[in-house]
Amino acid sequence: MSEVLQGKHDDQPRLAGQNRIRLVAICFSLAFFAIAVQLGNLTIIRGVDVAEDALAQHQPRMPRPDIVDRNGVVIATDIAVASLYADPRKIIDIDDAVESLTAVIPDLDAKTLRTKLTQPGRAFVWLKRQVSPEERDAVYNLGIPGVGYVNERKRVYPLGRLAAHTVGYVDVDSKGIAGIEKYLDDQGAIYTASLSEPSSQTVTPATLSTDTRVQFALTDEVSKAVEKYRAKAGGGIVLDITTGEIVALCSLPDFNPNQEDKNFAKQQANMMTSGVFELGSVIKTVTFAMAFDYGVTDLNGKYDVRFPLVIGNARINDYHAQRRVLTVPEIFINSSNIGSAKMALDVGMEGHQEFLRRVGFFDRLTTEIPESAKPLLPKHWSKLATATAAFGHGFAVQPLQGISVIGGLINNGLMTQPTFLQRDVAEADVLAKRIVKPETSEKIRYLFRLNVVEGTASKADVIGYRVGGKTGTAEKVVHGRYAHDKLLNSFIGAFPMDNPRYAIIVMLDEPKATPETFGFATSGWNAVPTAGRIIERIAPLLGVVPKFTPQDIEKLAKLAKTAAKDG
Amino acid sequence: MHKLFNACLVIAVLVSGFFLYSLEHSTRGLERQIAKLKDGIVDEREQIKVLGAEWSSLTRPDRLQKLAQDNLKLKTVTASQFVSEGELAAKVPQAPVFAVDEKSKDPIADILKEMQ
Repeated sequence: MSEVLQGKHDDQPRLAGQNRIRLVAICFSLAFFAIAVQLGNLTIIRGVDVAEDALAQHQPRMPRPDIVDRNGVVIATDIAVASLYADPRKIIDIDDAVESLTAVIPDLDAKTLRTKLTQPGRAFVWLKRQVSPEERDAVYNLGIPGVGYVNERKRVYPLGRLAAHTVGYVDVDSKGIAGIEKYLDDQGAIYTASLSEPSSQTVTPATLSTDTRVQFALTDEVSKAVEKYRAKAGGGIVLDITTGEIVALCSLPDFNPNQEDKNFAKQQANMMTSGVFELGSVIKTVTFAMAFDYGVTDLNGKYDVRFPLVIGNARINDYHAQRRVLTVPEIFINSSNIGSAKMALDVGMEGHQEFLRRVGFFDRLTTEIPESAKPLLPKHWSKLATATAAFGHGFAVQPLQGISVIGGLINNGLMTQPTFLQRDVAEADVLAKRIVKPETSEKIRYLFRLNVVEGTASKADVIGYRVGGKTGTAEKVVHGRYAHDKLLNSFIGAFPMDNPRYAIIVMLDEPKATPETFGFATSGWNAVPTAGRIIERIAPLLGVVPKFTPQDIEKLAKLAKTAAKDG
Repeated sequence: MHKLFNACLVIAVLVSGFFLYSLEHSTRGLERQIAKLKDGIVDEREQIKVLGAEWSSLTRPDRLQKLAQDNLKLKTVTASQFVSEGELAAKVPQAPVFAVDEKSKDPIADILKEMQ
């Protein structure tokens, strides 16, 4: 040391090792400096970010978002549930434990509990899975050694069956199996992530286009109709045609997503999207729109429907045979097969196919929910195929697709892809696709309203709400033949017809005639009045302002008079 | 001189050590408080969820419909019962529709009381 100090005073050559010491000192100070810089960097400069990263690694995966309807009503949510367990080896006094546990949770059976707890050598038994928070706290407060709980998450659907087909359900591991729940798992992962707040692990709920109140009115009336007309199944959709939002969708029989085992029968599937049906005369609307759009005929056109139309071996007949020359509006309100077939033949096979392709009947309609079916079309497009497809025979589509296309025809010719999620007008305007000219749409609207005022759909005329619509009574195909006694009835309507906003479809599978319907089982006697009752209930909910023409006021006065007489 | 300087340094070390310790102590306290509050927030959120689910379940339209049918004399509203704002004044009935008793001013509360 003294030698080193001496080296400072005189310019003697440096001692061996001095350089080494310096080198070591420099290395150490560099290392300490680096540590100091990094420490300052992590704690002061990037302090907050690092802390958050560390927290994020600790936290569990992104929680499953709640599902709410368009008004914020909770349809699906995750709640924390506790499951009680016990370690029998640690329980000191089993009799005392059994007694206090059964006192707190009345539905625990004392006998089975005792056998559970007296099993030799067991270190873990479930006492009760998924107990309520109150029960959990009560058991916790008992303070029995060896009894504890673990937290689990459980998906609950407070509305039960309502809107079950739209929402779908999850399995025990909270994995989406059907409906929107499945969507949230699949391509909706990005959507789900977009709902989460970046700084915290909370997720804002997924908002559906469904309106719970409308959904209930629809389900309630359809289920009443299924019961009243002893139908095998029933269904309905309410669609906002301006935005493509599905306001309500019901398919009966439905299911309860809260059910413990999810063994749902095939009949409980969503027939409005996963089934294809021949919609029958409802499709005539498409044929008429096609004929108007191609300029083949207009509202003043006339067709001779006196004789059945013969193509090859097939004869096309009318259900309500008129045996005279009908104008185009008369063909519509009498639902003449012959007239519609002749209109389609005037357009021609190529034109017909081109039009059906344009409106999308050749493609599978897909929405957010995984349940969707491909349309069934004639394999060989012949003259006969064109003639029968004109009145809805020989091609089957999802009911949702049917209402979507007809909604587009009514909505000024602008069709929007239907959705189960909330959508605003600006977004809908971008997605809208023109399928027919506005003039064509105007004619279809006139025919729709006319058909309700004086045609087959008169029982849907809810005074004040300007309803329009078209009925369909299709015979179901049984063993490759049309069965005359097995009907699939439908009605597609829209309201208010002066500025249509909502379209509705009601379907009944194999309804029977009742004394009240005078032995008739056609659509006008069951699907149509059902739709009328639904519209009467939902129009005020949807904010449709009633308007009355002088004729309406007269009708109302008459109704009031008869009511007064009866009352 | 050196001794004084060293003594100053020792005191400085003690003071800063004490200061550092008390700072850390208070920080820990704050951290505990934060953790507690965060747990509280999580609990409250959970509670809100449960209550939201319960509310949704209690206001189920089918339940409300059944209660309304059993306890109220109301029918489906028809289109003709809607009145525009302008015509409202002309439609106000002379006598009140609900006969309000002297005792209570709230007929709905009476119905609720009867139900209990």
